[in-house]
Amino acid sequence: MLSLPVSDKARNALAAIFDGITTQGRVINALVLRETKTRYGEHKIGFMWALLEPMIMVSIFVAMFANMRSDNPSGMALIPFMLTGLVPFSFFKDTMTQMQGAISGNRQLFAFPQVTTFDVIIARAILEIIILAAVFTFLLFLTDLAGWSIHVERPLAVLAACGLLCMMGVGLGFFFASLSPIIPSIRQLSSAVLGRPLFFTSGLFFTVESVPPFVRDYLLYNPILHAIELLRSAFFYEFESAYGDWGYASAWAVGLFTFGLLTHQALRRKAIVGL
Amino acid sequence: MIKLENVTKKYRTASGFNTVLNNVNVTFPVGKSVGILGLNGAGKSTLIRIIGDAEPPDKGRVTSEGRISWPLGYTGGFQGNLTARENARFVARIYGESTRYIEEFTQEFSELGEYFDMPLRSYSAGMRARFAFSVSLACNFDYYLVDEALETGDARYREKFRLAFEERRANASVILVSHNEQTIRRNCDMAAILHDGDLTLYEDLKDALHNYKVLQTQPTS
Repeated sequence: MLSLPVSDKARNALAAIFDGITTQGRVINALVLRETKTRYGEHKIGFMWALLEPMIMVSIFVAMFANMRSDNPSGMALIPFMLTGLVPFSFFKDTMTQMQGAISGNRQLFAFPQVTTFDVIIARAILEIIILAAVFTFLLFLTDLAGWSIHVERPLAVLAACGLLCMMGVGLGFFFASLSPIIPSIRQLSSAVLGRPLFFTSGLFFTVESVPPFVRDYLLYNPILHAIELLRSAFFYEFESAYGDWGYASAWAVGLFTFGLLTHQALRRKAIVGL
Repeated sequence: MIKLENVTKKYRTASGFNTVLNNVNVTFPVGKSVGILGLNGAGKSTLIRIIGDAEPPDKGRVTSEGRISWPLGYTGGFQGNLTARENARFVARIYGESTRYIEEFTQEFSELGEYFDMPLRSYSAGMRARFAFSVSLACNFDYYLVDEALETGDARYREKFRLAFEERRANASVILVSHNEQTIRRNCDMAAILHDGDLTLYEDLKDALHNYKVLQTQPTS
């Protein structure tokens, strides 16, 4: 032991905190492995589906848009353009969706005192983000192999934009995960009010530039649209968005994240009991 | 030692609040196995969940020394679509034990054969209990919290558990909820009665069983 000038009491307190952290780390690790099993364990095709789903989506939208217009939007090749919209949007949407059932779906685990509501929620977020990151990397690689050469202009900024989308997803994920055991119908709300409309207004298939100005002003309230524009600006040499605002998107990300954690803190005892 | 201080727990029911634990103060001494008796709905399972820290009390606190198991019963803690092996590994991971040791011990002790690699949802209640007990035995707890499940399974297997617990009695104790006097008499050194929100601990098992009998014959108010 290091002989630092601290009292035994302080040392014990530190040891207790350290113990708590290692236990929580163990629990989250165990939960992530368990979630992987429950999601993909029974069907070997499970993980393939994680790759196939965005591939099918990209194909459908590419096919639709290839007919609708002859020129590429803002000089970006159509497939990478779609890819950099759909998958990053999943960082927000799928993370949120996966998280919201975490408490109801793992209720029996609370018999173990070391498993907390926070652990089961964050485990789902971690697993989803890992899967999406793998899917994104793999699909970009595949696109590159298929002949649309991928050169990322500012990789760190791309990561940062993905990070912001994750933060927003995780924030709302915590909110819905904590609320849905108490008000189950909130789940429909999350997909009907948030998921679907955001899918069409977050710039997955368009750039802000291409939208008529009177619509543009309203769309720009959407922080996810900002994040996607910023991501594409960082991704493509050919494209620089005049509208994406790091400050605006970050403020939303931090705000939603804090809001989600606070909601969870306030509701976790009620959520554990359920209705 | 497990100590309950001023523990209160209420549940909301259709007609107001039902107080399951009303300012309970009790110390479960080291090395003593305690049976908890109570009429249906008295809150025995809730009490066990509070002792095991699976549920927070409304008021008061529970302090303890030593490792306490999760409340062992028919289902608690396990996921139906995972196999016994996967569930055993999960338990090993969250308690920081060697996954290999826990897996092997559980497989051998539970005698589930090829069912060990089948999803838990295909198990009968008896098999589930068998699995739960085997994993918890593998973990070496100081306290085993048992919620009414010792009676399951065939007689031979019940005997096996009883012996395993007996062997552990020197350094582990059982806190056991049961309707069955026989189970309590066999496994416990003392007993407590939970009634109307009060928990009374009796040093002498006979007194407890006698008072419980009296309670059972009383008309419900």
